[in-house]
Amino acid sequence: MLSIKNLHASVEDKEILKGINLEIKAGEVHAIMGPNGSGKSTLSQVLAGNEAFEVTSGEVTLNGENLLDLETEERAREGIFLAFQYPVEIPGVSNLQFLRTAVNAMRQHRGEEEMNAAEFMKLAREVSKQVDLDPSFLKRGVNEGFSGGEKKRNEILQALLLQPKLAILDETDSGLDIDALKIVSDGVNALRSEDRAILMVTHYQRLLNHIVPDYVHVLAGGRIIKSGGRELALELEEKGYGWLGIKDEEEASN
Amino acid sequence: MKQAPTLSSAFLHPVCDRLPEPLLALRKQRASTLVDMPMPTRKTENWKYSAKYLKLDDEMAISLPNEGKTGNSLAVPGYKVVFINGVMVPEASEFPDMDGIAIKRFGDLTTDEASALSLQLGSTLDPKRTQFAHLNGARFEDGLLIRLKPGAVLDQPLFIIHETWGDAPGSAYPRIFVDAGANSQMTLVEEYISSGDASLLANTVTEFDLAHGANITSIRLNMEGENVQHIGATGVVQQRSSRFESHCVGFGGPLRRHDLQVRLEGEGGECKLNGVVVTQGKQHYDNHTCIDHVAAHCNSEETYRNIAADKSHAVFNGRIHIHPDAQKSNADMNNKNLLLNSGAEIDTKPELEIYADDVKCAHGATIGQLDEISLFYLVSRGIGRRQANVLLTMAFINELVEQIPVEAVRETAQMRLNEFFEQTFQEA
Repeated sequence: MLSIKNLHASVEDKEILKGINLEIKAGEVHAIMGPNGSGKSTLSQVLAGNEAFEVTSGEVTLNGENLLDLETEERAREGIFLAFQYPVEIPGVSNLQFLRTAVNAMRQHRGEEEMNAAEFMKLAREVSKQVDLDPSFLKRGVNEGFSGGEKKRNEILQALLLQPKLAILDETDSGLDIDALKIVSDGVNALRSEDRAILMVTHYQRLLNHIVPDYVHVLAGGRIIKSGGRELALELEEKGYGWLGIKDEEEASN
Repeated sequence: MKQAPTLSSAFLHPVCDRLPEPLLALRKQRASTLVDMPMPTRKTENWKYSAKYLKLDDEMAISLPNEGKTGNSLAVPGYKVVFINGVMVPEASEFPDMDGIAIKRFGDLTTDEASALSLQLGSTLDPKRTQFAHLNGARFEDGLLIRLKPGAVLDQPLFIIHETWGDAPGSAYPRIFVDAGANSQMTLVEEYISSGDASLLANTVTEFDLAHGANITSIRLNMEGENVQHIGATGVVQQRSSRFESHCVGFGGPLRRHDLQVRLEGEGGECKLNGVVVTQGKQHYDNHTCIDHVAAHCNSEETYRNIAADKSHAVFNGRIHIHPDAQKSNADMNNKNLLLNSGAEIDTKPELEIYADDVKCAHGATIGQLDEISLFYLVSRGIGRRQANVLLTMAFINELVEQIPVEAVRETAQMRLNEFFEQTFQEA
């Protein structure tokens, strides 16, 4: 489904990704782990199309189509979804209006009829329950005044509504307590399906206890330095990143 | 030596005289003051940013015809009065028929009533700051006096549709006076629209005189076309424990000017002034507000937002004057601005004059741009760039639009603003 070949990317002329290679097939769940500054978030942002990051070389295809040629909104319509590490607060746009606009943009792209306000309200209420967000959150501004955990649940709510082909979860576990982690993980597990892939980016392995990956990759210094199965994450947990010769964050990012 | 043009030299033309004698006398008196009133230039302090947009010529001095088509039939959930070119159209108007509420055209007033009104007209405005209210005073041909007796409550909003139209250049001078008795209540909605494509001037004055305990809401939508220059003034005087709330939504034009002056004369008075302005292309809009805290223990709260796109120009000048006796005044003024293009210009100027020592007076102004990260967030969900821009721009003013207390007006404003922004971002 997703194929990344020798991807290099920079931000403000500083190279962060230094040759990423990754193949993800439909139905698979991949986890990318690594210390702070290793390029995990950059990879997520580049895949979603954030223009603050410049791709200097390499290739990314989604189901054979060149992803890097597409605008951010086109990528989303082709099925890329990024759950943000820091979801953005947008006062003045109601969550409901935001979600409905997004869902209808997708439906329009697929040649389906737009959902009217009443139909959408019903759907949004159901999905809100699934991530344990009170429906009153639909009426508030997008993420406005939401707690960290509420923001993350709102991200999963969006994923459940938009039904992407590839969901990228950027540090979705950060800032969550045990209960919230469980709710978010249940949401992500509900997304798992044969025709959908999930790419989790995380610093810690605790999320992987709840969402069990098929593959684990270790990212350091802008490259994937080791790949393996689920057991790799456990090994990392036990031995720390130092085990792989990653000395500190400073070095990892250089 | 060449004489500088005055308002009178450009604009003193004979007009029809179906008004009662005291109002004709008032008009004459106002006309005489125009002779010494220079046409504003960029050196005129209160027209500094806007004089260059003022393009009045002799042709436009001609009063627009009184009779005309009532082309626009906006659906109105309330009582409706239609003014065309400053003259009321009775057959298109529906007055409330309620005890305690008297609505009369100026031409229908008795001599005594007109005599009383002639003392009131203009009394809410500071003549030094509203040159063009004098022009209106010299030129109005009709007008509406809305008198609420003590305790009268108008059960539905009263809509006044001000339409300016003309096939040839000319000007119109609508005039409204609301005399709100003690503890009376009403909501007045004024919509300014236009048709035709000749160069036109709408020079409007609306005044509110609030006795103690009166509670008045004024909503003003300015939606005239690109051929209309609009110079309007709203004056408000408030007695003890009265409340005035204003919601202005203005779309830019070749020249748009609104002066809003509120004088808090009685203790415990309260005013809340909200304003939204949007401009694009080469449009202009200038809001000058002035709040006088004359009496003690009054609250004023003012929130204005401007959004300027392309090469347009928006101006906000907010003056707060706290008089020596106005102890325990509480004044809060806030103006936020959104610049959508580097070619757009916004001038914002707070003017605070405080002569009492025990007051709370806060003011703040910001100018910013659309947030790139918010935009990325929206498009990353598949929302098109144009729509995302429209959503974010609407978000900047939604908080104020949502406070418009009449649903139909709120929806009209939302719809028109949305259309406006879709045009703004059509290239995006």
